[in-house]
This record gives sequence, C-alpha cells and structure tokens, in this order.
Amino acid sequence: MTIAFYVFASVALLGAILAVQVTNLVRAVFGLLLFFGALAGLFLLLMAEFLAAVQILVYVGAVGILMLFAIMLTQRVTGDDRRGGGSRGGFWGFLLAIATFCFVLLPVLRDAHLHEQSATGASLTTKLLGERLMDPYALTLEVTALLLTAALLGAIVVAKGTSEDGEGEENE
Amino acid sequence: MIGLEHFTILAALLFCIGLVGVLTRRNAIIVLIGIEIMLNAANLNFIAFWRYGENTEALSGPLFALFAIAVAAAEVAVGLALVIAVYRHYRSVDVDKLKSLKG
Amino acid sequence: MLVQFANWVQGELACSPALAKIVGILLAAVPLATVFALCFAFTTWLERKGLARIQNRIGPNRVGPFGLFQPIADGIKMITKEDIVPRSSDHFFHLIAPLLVLVSSMACLAFIPFGLGMTMSPIDTAVVFFFAILGMNTLAVFLAGWASRNKYSLLGGMRAVAQMVSYEIPLVLSAVTVVMMVGSLDTREIVGAQVVEGWATSENSGLRFLGQIAGWHVFTPWGFAGFIIFFIAALAETNRSPFDLPEAESEIIAGYVTEYSGFKFALFFLGEYIGAFAVLGLAITLFLGGWNGPNFQPWWSSDPHALLIPGFVWFFFKMFVLMAVLIWIRGTLPRLRVDQLMSFAWKFLLPLALVNVFVAGFLFHVAKEDRVWASVAAFVFLYLVAKGLSRMNQSDAPAPRKYHFAE
Repeated sequence: MTIAFYVFASVALLGAILAVQVTNLVRAVFGLLLFFGALAGLFLLLMAEFLAAVQILVYVGAVGILMLFAIMLTQRVTGDDRRGGGSRGGFWGFLLAIATFCFVLLPVLRDAHLHEQSATGASLTTKLLGERLMDPYALTLEVTALLLTAALLGAIVVAKGTSEDGEGEENE
Repeated sequence: MIGLEHFTILAALLFCIGLVGVLTRRNAIIVLIGIEIMLNAANLNFIAFWRYGENTEALSGPLFALFAIAVAAAEVAVGLALVIAVYRHYRSVDVDKLKSLKG
Repeated sequence: MLVQFANWVQGELACSPALAKIVGILLAAVPLATVFALCFAFTTWLERKGLARIQNRIGPNRVGPFGLFQPIADGIKMITKEDIVPRSSDHFFHLIAPLLVLVSSMACLAFIPFGLGMTMSPIDTAVVFFFAILGMNTLAVFLAGWASRNKYSLLGGMRAVAQMVSYEIPLVLSAVTVVMMVGSLDTREIVGAQVVEGWATSENSGLRFLGQIAGWHVFTPWGFAGFIIFFIAALAETNRSPFDLPEAESEIIAGYVTEYSGFKFALFFLGEYIGAFAVLGLAITLFLGGWNGPNFQPWWSSDPHALLIPGFVWFFFKMFVLMAVLIWIRGTLPRLRVDQLMSFAWKFLLPLALVNVFVAGFLFHVAKEDRVWASVAAFVFLYLVAKGLSRMNQSDAPAPRKYHFAE
C-alpha cells in the first residue's frame, strides 16, 4: 500500500505538472491522461473500484478524446502552442498558487485528528452504490441526467455555429 | 502506513498545480485542463475522507465524486464547444485576446 | 488442472505471503500471455488459409505441414526487420503507442472467465473495467497516427477515433441489457446465470445436457438482438473488416500503421488480434454462455458435477468459431464508406440498442407463465423495429450514380 501510494502519487504529480507546463498541447493532454490514470489507481487503493472504473471510462476514454478533437479543430496538427508565448503573469500565478497551497493545507497540518484516523475496513460494493443511487439520491440522479442531456444539446448548438462548415461536437 | 494526511497533502498539491495552469497559461484548452485537475483533486479528497471517515455505509463521498465526474464531463463538453465557437470567431484560443467586452 | 496447480503452489508458499502474492500474479498472467500469443499465431494462419480458400488460392503451404509454421517464420521476419522511425516523428510517443495497444488489449483479457475459477482478476465490476480499458485502445491508435507525423497516419488515427467512439455506445448498450437482466457486473455471475438451474442439476442426463445450452442469453429476444448488435459493434471496435477504414490500404495506405515497421508493427498486429479475442471473449461471456456447453458426466466418475469436457475447451472452441466468422466476413464483405459507417452507428445500431434495452426491461417484469408469448412478441417487435429503421435510413441514401462516360 505504501509503495503503491508513492508510485501513484508521483505519477499523478508528474502528469499534472506535464499537463500544465508543456507547450505542445497534445503532449499536455497525454500528461493529463497520465494524471487521470494515476488517480484511478489511487481510487483503487482507497477501495473505490467502481469509481476507478468510471474515472478511466469517463476521463481517459471520453474527456481525453474530446480534448484531442478540440485541439485538432483549433490548433495546428502538431499541437504546438508557441505562438501565444505560452504563459503570462507567471510570477504572480505561482505566488498565488503557493499561497493557496499554504492556506488549504494549514488547517490540515494543525488538525491533530487526521493523523489518528485509520482506514475503515468497508469496501465499496457496486450493489450498495446502486441502491444508494436509487434510494436517497434518485432526484440527484435524474437532475444529473437532465444536465447531461442539456449539456449535450448545448455543446452541439454552440459548436455547430451558424456557418455551414460546422459539424456537431463529438460527445460521449 | 499511509494516513489521511498523505492524501490531503497530495490533493492540495494537485489542486495548486491545476491552479497554476489556470492562472498562468494563455491557451483556453490548457485552462480547461487546469480546471479538470482541480476538480479531480477535490474528488480525491472526497474519496479519502469517505475511506478514513466513520460512516462508510452512507457512501456520501463516492456518490458525490460520481456526480462530480458526471458534471465535469458535461462541463468539458460545453467548455470545449465554447472554445471551438470562440476559435471560429477570433481565429485564436488565446484567452488574453478575448477582450471585445473591455470597451 | 491449472487451477489446482495454482492452488497447490499457493498452499506451499503460505508461509511467506508476499512471495505467494507475486507467484500468484505470475501464475495467472503467464499462461494468459502464452496461450493468447499461441492463439494469435494460430489465428493468423487460419486467417491466411481461410482467405485464400475464399479467394480460390492455396495460401501458405511451404513452412511445415499445411504451412502451419508460417506464423513462426513471420515472427522471425518481423523481429529481424529494420525498425524505421521517421525523423520528424515524435519518437517517444511513436514507441509508446504500439505498447499501449498491446497492454490495453491484454489487460482486457484479465476480466474474462475462461473456465470455472479461471478468471485472472475476479472483481465485481468486471464489465465496467473491461469497457474502460478497451477505451484506451482508441487513444493508443490516435497516438500512433499523431506521432507518426504523416498525413495518412493522422487521417487513419482520426477515422479510428471517430469510429471507435461511435461504435462504443451500441457496444456498451447491448452489454447493459445483459447486466440489467442478470443484475450483476461480475462476469462470473453472468456466466452462472446462463445455466438453467433445475435442468443442470437434474438426474436425467439429457436434461442436464440441454440445461447447459438452453439458458444462453442469445436464445432470448433481447439477447439475440443484443448479440447481433454487440458483434457488429465489436467488428468496428477492433477495426476488423468491413469496418477497417482506419487502416484501409487502398485509401490511406494502411492508416495509422503506415510509419511502423519491424517489431513495432508486429506489436500492433498482436495487440489488434488480442483485442479481438478479448471482445469476442466478452461476447461469449455475455451471450453465449461462457464456459458452459453441452456436457456429459464421465463414465468413470460418480460425482454428478464432474464434466467430461472441461469448460475452457468450450470457451476456446466458441472463440475460434467466432474468429472463423470474422475471417469469413472479412473475405466476403466490401469496406464501408465513412458516411455509411457513421450513419449506420448513429441511425441504426444506437436506436435499435436503445429499443432493445426497453424490451429487456419489459420482459423482466412479465409474469413467468406469460413469458413464452411475451418472448415471441418481443422477437416480432424487435424485427419490425430493425426493419423500420433500415427502411427509414434507406430514404436518405443518395440517388443511384449516373455514369457519363462508362456506358
């Protein structure tokens, strides 16, 4: 568990850093996919195997492909992003991010309870998850379905535009 | 032994990396990538707190993460559609160039 | 046999859990990799021979009896060939892509139950994981096309992504019907649900014989429609003919594999076939009763649960039958156009799969005594829906082409 955690954590950090720092957009997306994959591994470590599967299915399978399509439609094929010079206000951005990091983490480090908590033995069974989705969260599920439908239609309308050349956005 | 604090620190680090991406990059697609990283860091926290928490039977953490993933997928679809629409209009996805509302 | 051996080794190593774990993983993974590599070799021979018969040729006949050692010769040729990497290509991703294809296909095999207790990774969300990992194939193919820096490769990669994303939806929807009816995502439970309980355990050997077949999902209306949808979508998902547009030799000179040679090409080839095996394996698990097949009690055994033919024999038999069907289809059907491909997925398969989900839901709630009539009605209904959909799609087919000069 310990070794696996550090492996997945370092891969996730590496992927995230690659995703936001690489100039080549396609490579950035693959960094992002590495990050998603490592996160799915962390979910597995936390015994949430259904969520790990959903994470790979939705993020690696759908979101990644969507992003690649968007890059292919808006960028040169090689995916290079050198025209815009890449970044802006780097110093202030980093400063703000580090400040946020300290701000987010300060309560964690001060709170002594966290160290004492130990993992509970329960595992996430898919059956229980399904029952929970039907019993207290049925309305939320319906609203999510509605939201996804609306997003699908909205994405098609927005991406299609008024011109002739537009074809519908790929969707999952 | 890996405790809850390891996961929290990792999630905070990932969140801040995403934040750096959103704040410092000009390309709209990279900004979206940064948002995705931040959302996923939050999901990691949900799962970790569920796992190390007391009431695991309620499954509130995984369920919240599940809904967050669904909403994030919708967000990406709409966001990328917007990026493509913007690109059609301005021939660029540089967020600094979108300033026609600036007066 | 293998399972017993694995259990015995586990028992011997019980004193050191860490070592036992590693040995257990190896014991599960190594046979899988070896058996499927052999299956791949045999299938390439079968495919070349079969295609040759369909095209009225003889096929490979020089190496070994009936050319059976042809795959070995091919393998040696592939390995000793020069590995050419285009100078402008993205070297790292050019290397990673074939590996990713192979790894994701192999990982899919881990969730298929080949026999009783012969699932490498027995988890209760196997079906979801299978589709999740299968989706990574799409990415690998795109990556290969993009990293080659070749317009044909890129075209092939883009075609592959569009096709795989479109056909994944009917594929998953037809699997959803099975998951819905069985009430489990576990592949082992899905196989277990396809045995008629009362018959399989009865005293009458004839009933026991039938009980192993009669429960297959393919014999129910939703299963029949689901199996056909699944099979067609699986053809597209694994880039098999007639859906092999991403690697159409005559249009875009082999698409995303244009810039691959030598061993990397062999890896692509292997990965593609393993992917086909995995998807067919899932089809067998979901619709064709998995490892169940007509079976007898061996005459030397008094145990009523003993089977003459082990389960995995049935599984691999079914797999090769389906593979032969794939080869047959490849030999007889012409390749689709891109627009036909897309409209077929979105206007025919997807609505049919959705209707099928509703039909399955309806049948789930029908009382037991009405089930026969309901099934017949469902068959007729599904047939009419398929007929209607194809009629609707015909109306927007282009007018017959006019030949100006070729009269």
